[in-house]
Amino acid sequence: MSSLSHQWRSLEQLAEDPDFVTRAVQEFPGLAEALASPHDRRRALKLMAAAITMAGLGGCDWAPEGTLISAVRAPSNIVPGLPNFYASANVLDGYATGVVVKHQMGRPIKVEGNPRHPASLGATDVFAQAQLLDFYDPDRAWAITVHGSPSDQSDLRTELAAQRAKIAESRGNGFRILTGAITSPTLTRQLDALLAIYPEARWIQWQAISRDNVAKGAVLAYGKPVELVLKLDAADVIFAIDSDLLSSAPGHLRFARDFASRRNPTRTQKMSRVYAVEPTPTLSGSVADHRFIAGPDELHMVVMALAAGILEGSALSGPPDWVGQVIADLTANHGRALVHVGPDQPPETHALVHAINEKLGARGNTLELIAPVAYPVEQAEELADLVKDMRTGKVSTLLIMDSNPAYAAPGGLSFAAALKRVDFSLTLTVLPNETSQATTWAVPMAHPWETWSDGRAFDGTATILQPQALPLYDPVSIHTMLALFTEPAPAAALDAVQATWKTRMGEDFEQGWRHALASGVVPGTANSKSDVTLRPDAGRQTPPEPANHPLTILFRPDPHLWDGRYANNAWLQELPRPLTKLTWDNPLLVAPERAEQLKLRNGDMICLSVGDASVTAPAWIMPGQAADCVVALLGFGEQHAGTVGSGAGFDFYPLAGRAGAPSLQKVSGHVVLACTDHHNLIFDETREYVRHATLAEYNKNPQALATGKPEPHLYRWKPKGPAAWAMSVDLNACIGCNACVVACQAENNIPVVGKEEVIREREMHWLRIDRYYEGSPIDPDSYFQPVLCMHCEEAPCETVCPVGATVHDSEGINVMVYNRCIGTRFCSNNCPYKVRRFNYFAFSHEEQRPPEARNPDVTVRGRGVMEKCSFCLQRIAEARIAADRENRPVGEVRTACQAACPTQAFTFGNMADPDSEVAKRKRSLLDYALLADQNTRPRVTYEARIRNPKPPNEGNGG
Amino acid sequence: MAAIFRPSANYWAALTLLGMAAICLSGIGWLWFWPRTDYARHVRWLVSQPVPFSHAHHVAGLGIDCRFCHSSVEVSSNAGLPPTYTCMTCHSQIWTNADLLAPVRQSLADDKPIVWNRINDLPDYVFFNHAIHITKGVGCSSCHGEVDAMPLSYKAKTLTMQFCLDCHRDPGPNLRPKDQIYNTEWRRTAETPSPEMLMTEYHIGGRNLTDCSICHR
Repeated sequence: MSSLSHQWRSLEQLAEDPDFVTRAVQEFPGLAEALASPHDRRRALKLMAAAITMAGLGGCDWAPEGTLISAVRAPSNIVPGLPNFYASANVLDGYATGVVVKHQMGRPIKVEGNPRHPASLGATDVFAQAQLLDFYDPDRAWAITVHGSPSDQSDLRTELAAQRAKIAESRGNGFRILTGAITSPTLTRQLDALLAIYPEARWIQWQAISRDNVAKGAVLAYGKPVELVLKLDAADVIFAIDSDLLSSAPGHLRFARDFASRRNPTRTQKMSRVYAVEPTPTLSGSVADHRFIAGPDELHMVVMALAAGILEGSALSGPPDWVGQVIADLTANHGRALVHVGPDQPPETHALVHAINEKLGARGNTLELIAPVAYPVEQAEELADLVKDMRTGKVSTLLIMDSNPAYAAPGGLSFAAALKRVDFSLTLTVLPNETSQATTWAVPMAHPWETWSDGRAFDGTATILQPQALPLYDPVSIHTMLALFTEPAPAAALDAVQATWKTRMGEDFEQGWRHALASGVVPGTANSKSDVTLRPDAGRQTPPEPANHPLTILFRPDPHLWDGRYANNAWLQELPRPLTKLTWDNPLLVAPERAEQLKLRNGDMICLSVGDASVTAPAWIMPGQAADCVVALLGFGEQHAGTVGSGAGFDFYPLAGRAGAPSLQKVSGHVVLACTDHHNLIFDETREYVRHATLAEYNKNPQALATGKPEPHLYRWKPKGPAAWAMSVDLNACIGCNACVVACQAENNIPVVGKEEVIREREMHWLRIDRYYEGSPIDPDSYFQPVLCMHCEEAPCETVCPVGATVHDSEGINVMVYNRCIGTRFCSNNCPYKVRRFNYFAFSHEEQRPPEARNPDVTVRGRGVMEKCSFCLQRIAEARIAADRENRPVGEVRTACQAACPTQAFTFGNMADPDSEVAKRKRSLLDYALLADQNTRPRVTYEARIRNPKPPNEGNGG
Repeated sequence: MAAIFRPSANYWAALTLLGMAAICLSGIGWLWFWPRTDYARHVRWLVSQPVPFSHAHHVAGLGIDCRFCHSSVEVSSNAGLPPTYTCMTCHSQIWTNADLLAPVRQSLADDKPIVWNRINDLPDYVFFNHAIHITKGVGCSSCHGEVDAMPLSYKAKTLTMQFCLDCHRDPGPNLRPKDQIYNTEWRRTAETPSPEMLMTEYHIGGRNLTDCSICHR
């Protein structure tokens, strides 16, 4: 810690903040604090004596007792002890991503991606993984309520009969249905049927995280709605303008896979080059070869200059010099270039980018246009109209399904106040929320794992969602709820979904239906290419000049809570955000320049106001953000989210949709935020944790980044087992999305610890993604590095364990024997990679989820026990047993992180087999060991990151 | 002033100290040995069950194979407990009015499972797999004893870690030919292939069976 680090994680580390240095050099920072409090000797002796006695008693283990419950009828296909897998999909804002749910004795225990599904290709995002916890959430709505008092199905049906009569009389006048974006063919069919019966009724689709601009931009460019399907594997040059390409655009998992396929020079013929311009760092920007920062004004100029340069070949004065280079690179790669713009940019920008892509020959090569998948509407306008109608008393019946406008509608609209004017309002929701509190009726909705439904992927491919378990409570399916407004005894959800597909599949229905359920996709349902032609005026669109304000608020979804729907999900709350590494909170992100101007440190309270609304929240300094922007992350600060989510963070929706210049003041107060950035710091002599080079440097000297030969050892123990398990992590592929971290959490029964304990550096994630910065805090380069137990062949942890609780097995896995562990924590102290986690409390037992939600193949650890990554030992054991039963070598084993990764950054397997994928990757010229100078011979190695900047600007990535 | 302690006090003091040492040692010894006793492990304890099912009658008397009821023993970690339906395949025909079988009939009628009391159990951090043991030539009776001689089931072995390790360190003597796996009365005889031959036949030996990771995850 003596001089400036070459690569740094947090600003405190860069600035060598004295507090930070003191903390960082300690292995257990909380310990000093605890020891500092006065204890007399007598009390200390008492505690020690008690501890020894308890430790002795705790070791006693009597013969286990319990019961065995046999089935009455053996359910077909269920063999106790063997898993079952059923396909489904995770639907977020309308778009479905295929998943396969793993069951043990009929209970869902893990989500995996569906390799056959075009939006998944076997990978999942954080939301799909965390759906498991949502399903078992004890806070789920379980009873029908009227004004908060319990009611029941028969009362509901009586009331709905009255409503039906009323609506029928007025032909639907005054009847409004509010949903999120919908791609479900069945629901669309039902809604169309309902609107045919009640022609005066209105169906409003609205979601808090709007993609209106994308849809409107397409209409401006082509005259009718179309959607984009990108082919990033065909793109040599990509220009991402404030883009959500790799993080949240529909199909982003697929895009990330295609993107990564062109990023490792040892495996691809030609590396792609990525330019990104953005006001605040995104995942796409973080992995770009050139990242440029631009606030709203500058971004406007960039877009205008790009359009002028590419569409008309003229240069505009004003924009930064780099735009010329980007234009030159894009035009030089005709048919292999692509420009992508994110949903926060105005529709005109989208239209211009459509025109630019046509001009660059992208259509048909690096992207396709298809007929729209989501029902295209102008959501913001529709919601505004609805609220106006509600306020003027034109709405008598309001049905809100799976949407939370009382919380997430822009504050300027005052949705909750308008709701009071509606006579009959009903919320159908899985989790109680602000809207279900505010409407007259609240009805528990069937979780997607409890009922039948369907959904469509970004390219239109349909998936049938089948129930994964019997309903936990007494919920109503979304299909049934809608049908109850037209008929007293509607068909069950299964019949409704089958009715849709009977007409679409025709005579082959029986076979087609079974195949669709088994494979998770309905073949041939992808939308066909659209033959729309670009409107001549598409290239002449002018995005509106940004308001001339000194400060702009960027409302962005929290990367893990999204619009707030996952606020009660503890896994997602505690998952460190990809770039800020914050958990349980959403401080306002301010640029370093502005922080300096306002004399802000991380955690200082600031007041952000627009018009007459203001929110006071802590500040967080975001390196690489435009100085004139402040980022408000949405999804936090709910008041009725449940025990986990209520009150966590700050609600910035009230500031949304308000006119006027935002202002930012420092106010008194400081809070400590649960950021894991400075936790588990590792120290390398070279201060280069993520080895990297430019493509040109790599081509000149391909060997430069590899570790080289390990140092000699005095004593060397060689594992003699039939396999040598090892992992290679490709840092060229890692986009920092965190899917692996939450997959590991789900697979290995890893508990959450809560905000307080995260602040005490006691988070339990076995796998973490370190994010390093390099360069100045104003505009740093960022690098992601997943760090898990390295399974060192010469493991420093093993030599210091007094009880042999951490030992090597013959296949080279550093195993943790929980029952031997007495909690000295010497191993963690001696681990150079800081990957060991200690159960300071009985975190697992305090978790509010039923035991059946856990993975039965992994031990649940108790208090006082050390734990860490086991290379998914349970999966290895499963493969090992299967292989030994057939007397063949152990085949492929996929760890949970590897299976979830959208970019295939992880490769796991038997290193002893020279033909295995992991052995091949370990022979890569980029292969290096982290902290190689420690000579621990880690079984996990990394492939160094190669960046591909345009040659004249070598090394000048931003 | 007279001495407070008489000379014999030295003797008593030494005896007390020795006694205390003996109590400590025997206490530690008791803590060490007691959990390992058959009594503490509940070996040969009879456990009351909702239905006094007799393995002796069904296996030895009627000759029903283990796998008829424990049907997943060859493929899964879990041997499987018969569903009520399995009992009723026969008992819907014979002993249809036996009082002893009332809970079984009730289970079917009410669609409520029978709750049996556990006899053999391992701690939750141990992951035993039936299928691999069966495939590799370990017979049922090696761990479960002569079930066919049990009118009421009981635990036949201690099932401590020592018990497991004894075999994992030297599996050969406990292996038996493929056709004898389910024979609960099987004993090694002069004709039985040698332990070494069986080890080769079952391809055992490539793996270090005493690795912690073999049983603990």
